[in-house]
Amino acid sequence: MYITAASTISHQPTFKNAGFSKSIEPLQNNSELIIPNFKEYIDAGLLRRMSKILRMSVTAAKDCLKQAAIDQPGAIIVGTGLGCLQDTEKFLNNFLTIEGLLPPTSFIQSTHNTIAGQISLSIGNHGYNMTHTQNTLSFEYALIDAGLLLGEGNDNIIVGAADEYIELLSIIGEHLHVKSEVNLTSGASFFLVSKEQSVKSLARIKDIETVGLVEDIEESIENFLTNNTLQKSEIDMVLYSDFYDIKDSGQVADFIQRFDVSSEVLNYTNLIGVYPSNSAFAIHYAVDRIQDNNKIKTVLIINRLNKINLGLTLIESLEA
Amino acid sequence: MAVRITGIGIISAIGLNVAENLFSLENGKSGIGRIQYLDQEGAYLVGEVKCSNEELINRLHVKSRPVSRTSLLGLAAAREAWGGNKLSAKLRTGIISATSVGGMDQTEHFYRNYLGHTNPDFQVLKCHDSGNTTERIAAELGISGYINTLSTACSSGANAIMLGARLIEQGKLDRVLVGGTDALTQFTLNGFRSLMIYDDQWCRPFDESRSGLNLGEGAAFLLLENDKSVELSGNETLACLSGWANAADAYHQTASSPDGRGATLAIQNAIEVSGLSALDISYINAHGTGTKNNDLSESVALLNVFGDNYPDFSSTKPFTGHTLAAAGAIEAVFSVLAIQNNFIFPNLNYSQAILETGLVPSTEFQTDQPVTSVLSNSFGFGGNNSSLVFTVNIS
Repeated sequence: MYITAASTISHQPTFKNAGFSKSIEPLQNNSELIIPNFKEYIDAGLLRRMSKILRMSVTAAKDCLKQAAIDQPGAIIVGTGLGCLQDTEKFLNNFLTIEGLLPPTSFIQSTHNTIAGQISLSIGNHGYNMTHTQNTLSFEYALIDAGLLLGEGNDNIIVGAADEYIELLSIIGEHLHVKSEVNLTSGASFFLVSKEQSVKSLARIKDIETVGLVEDIEESIENFLTNNTLQKSEIDMVLYSDFYDIKDSGQVADFIQRFDVSSEVLNYTNLIGVYPSNSAFAIHYAVDRIQDNNKIKTVLIINRLNKINLGLTLIESLEA
Repeated sequence: MAVRITGIGIISAIGLNVAENLFSLENGKSGIGRIQYLDQEGAYLVGEVKCSNEELINRLHVKSRPVSRTSLLGLAAAREAWGGNKLSAKLRTGIISATSVGGMDQTEHFYRNYLGHTNPDFQVLKCHDSGNTTERIAAELGISGYINTLSTACSSGANAIMLGARLIEQGKLDRVLVGGTDALTQFTLNGFRSLMIYDDQWCRPFDESRSGLNLGEGAAFLLLENDKSVELSGNETLACLSGWANAADAYHQTASSPDGRGATLAIQNAIEVSGLSALDISYINAHGTGTKNNDLSESVALLNVFGDNYPDFSSTKPFTGHTLAAAGAIEAVFSVLAIQNNFIFPNLNYSQAILETGLVPSTEFQTDQPVTSVLSNSFGFGGNNSSLVFTVNIS
């Protein structure tokens, strides 16, 4: 599967900023979402009613289509861990406090599939339309689905992930004692993926694997590399996220330490903040680095944002 | 190539297992009535599973809490579908569930207390997210690896079944438990009220006087296996899943298009994938929610595909209520039962055809004709349309 276009809206200057990976620093605690001019992408009437997650997603998806110069993708697939939280909380508030007639908009826009639905509506797309929501692996499952579709003859698929921050998440985090030193953030990363390589291709996704209720991390990583006939020493860059390391305690998990010292190792959650589908950003980051440095040929993304789930994604440069 | 269905499980307003559901269908017994369990004021008609959370926890021997009603319902159905199957290192096994509310049944209680500063229990939020619903079911069954959840509103259950079939077809999994689960919540009940499509009377799918839906709750799962898996398990094939398709209506976030475009595409493509022709379909288990908009759009789509020579069709939602993400899975189990027993289920509460289309659903329980292939439709918010084709096992 080839990545033909990539677009991210986040707390970092990622949007329409190829080469961003050279300049971004670990996220500051007071960071905020960097908001592009949504009006360039979304009709003003629609925009008014859209929550943050919808604005980010429709804009990033449309930016991908623009980059790839494609009007209609073959399918639209979205992964989201927590879905449309802003509208969900709003409707909870409404029906618990309003007597009588309730405004329906926040209910309509509270369902997870509103994201993929609004993308299809905004471009008039009648193709396969799907929403995966599997905790921290939501994006990986969306990507696996895209791979299946390419195998079935579909092509030029919009696949992406988005999650939005609401204040209640911080309050919940404090009460459940999972407060992280790294920001809880919002983000959306979308891609256009294609079956064949073209002049617009940026990189290749060689393999994706998800291990829900994972038992042995190291064994899972070993098997994944073996299946792809790779040695650890052949990995040029490891992008990882680790449940036990999001406080940036300086302690690096065993599964990371086993990689060759020559591999570059980077915790991407420190760059982008915590949201369930942030591994989609890691792919964009890898793609951006690959464009900039032809020595980076093979990138392994290890998603362990949640301790019970493991996501593994292998990205290769076109020269690899 | 068809995918084998070797296990089915269900829990709904008309029964706590397959046998009870079949008995209610055969005897025209609806499960819809006044609210018994949900903490909600008002004389709404709902299709509740006739068990409290505590009763479900005891029946299922669930040890760890918090757990959402959505997970409990899903576990009941998944266990029945999984039956006595064993995990095996030789078979790559996965689970795909579908849900639209996830743990909202717990979250809405939390949020009421949170707003009222009356000691909200933050712990229950651990089971809020939809993915957790499935992880809980997987953990109880011992399934690890491919554990996934889809959420495409009312078409979710059908999409989970379709995704499972595609994973088997492409050799990614040998067997997969697929289905959907949704608990009744104040959130969805008030949501459909806000849309003015909640009927205060019995829902009347495909009837001219229809004025909305009655919500239900429940779960259903099917075990899909490839040939290799069946050889090892020795399981009997109950029916096959032969066709599937998903298409976007791209008309409106909640309303279906008047020309039934997305629905027509989904039905046509699913039949094409099955290798059958429209004439081969013995029975259609329609989406038929009872809303003005869905039933008209679906009727137009049925006419687009089948013309005036349409096969027997009915909506079983007057039995179960609209179970949202579980609906596609519950109706898939009904489709398998129709094929296994040569049954056609009645469309309850029907009296007069929709003026614009004149389609007449089956209103009698029929046992006098072979049912070899069933089309099941699931259409949802956001223009998500999916259709499945089930066929009798011929090999």
